[in-house]
Amino acid sequence: MKRLREFFQKENDHSADVARERLKMMISQDRMQRSQPDFLPRLQSELVEVIKRYTQSEQSDIQISYHSLPQRAQIELNVSWPRNTP
Amino acid sequence: MARVVVVTSGKGGVGKTTSCASIGTALAMQGYRTVLIDFDVGLRNLDLVMGCERRVVYDLINVTTGEAKLSQALIKDKRLDGLYMLPASQTRDKDALTYEGVGEVIDALKEEFDFIICDSPAGIERGAILAMYYADEAIVVSNPEVSSVRDSDRIIGLLDSKTRRAEEGETVKAQLLITRYDPERVEHSDMMSMQDIEEILAIPVVGVIPESPAVLRASNQGIPVVHDTPSDAGQAYSDTVARFLGEEKPMRFVELERKGLFSRMFGGRR
Repeated sequence: MKRLREFFQKENDHSADVARERLKMMISQDRMQRSQPDFLPRLQSELVEVIKRYTQSEQSDIQISYHSLPQRAQIELNVSWPRNTP
Repeated sequence: MARVVVVTSGKGGVGKTTSCASIGTALAMQGYRTVLIDFDVGLRNLDLVMGCERRVVYDLINVTTGEAKLSQALIKDKRLDGLYMLPASQTRDKDALTYEGVGEVIDALKEEFDFIICDSPAGIERGAILAMYYADEAIVVSNPEVSSVRDSDRIIGLLDSKTRRAEEGETVKAQLLITRYDPERVEHSDMMSMQDIEEILAIPVVGVIPESPAVLRASNQGIPVVHDTPSDAGQAYSDTVARFLGEEKPMRFVELERKGLFSRMFGGRR
């Protein structure tokens, strides 16, 4: 009987493990966002705007990441765009 | 020296008020002069759980605005000496409560009491921040459920940034109280364990309260569950308070009780 129940329950089993993994992911993201300055989203969108004005970059070609170091904060900007092929 | 403790959670319905009532009651049972303050303006409930709803005349806002004296608003517990509560206002708008007003009330209470327990409203709005602002310590209440744990993490972040202690470069000592714990479901990996939650939130566990019919029974009657001394939840709360006061106590009701053949056959479903 117990075997039978376990067999049918297999797919729902260990939902606690799933919860734990999802939470760890979510909370580390939350904590990161919490440490970011409020102006960051605005800065990001303005940077993207300026970069697009000069290059043929798509939104996905522009990556901006924020790092909080012990003494300083830092943003890392990665931009690429297609070469003009004649 | 009086200790100001906030009972908070972020998420609603996890047992803040129930915990507040039992923790305050257990402290008073140990002989500490204790006052409970309900910060949930508009959704006053601590008086119901404490069973003193019919004796509410004045509330916290009446005191901060000077309409009533502190001594007029404090309600003495009918079962224990040295236990009082200060109800929340049921009618006023939330902005009627000010930082200065609350600060004055807490300063005055510090003269009279050993413990000032602040029952926070749910959420992360002004009311919740006000409830934690003057706290020296926090008890963060959480269920073993993803939304509750995530909200608790938010609250821990606020304790680290929005309190007076944080502004002064000090920390609010936060401890975790897990409620509605079901060891059987933990055993079957259908519920996060105490260790999982402790690891994720990174604050020490001060107590684990098992899922128990005694909790509802107690609030139905307006008697804090810690008075129900034979009950598992009542004992878990008194253990929690012993640990809160610095005693070493092993966790109880966190392991699955092995059922005998008899109760497995005749015990039925839980």
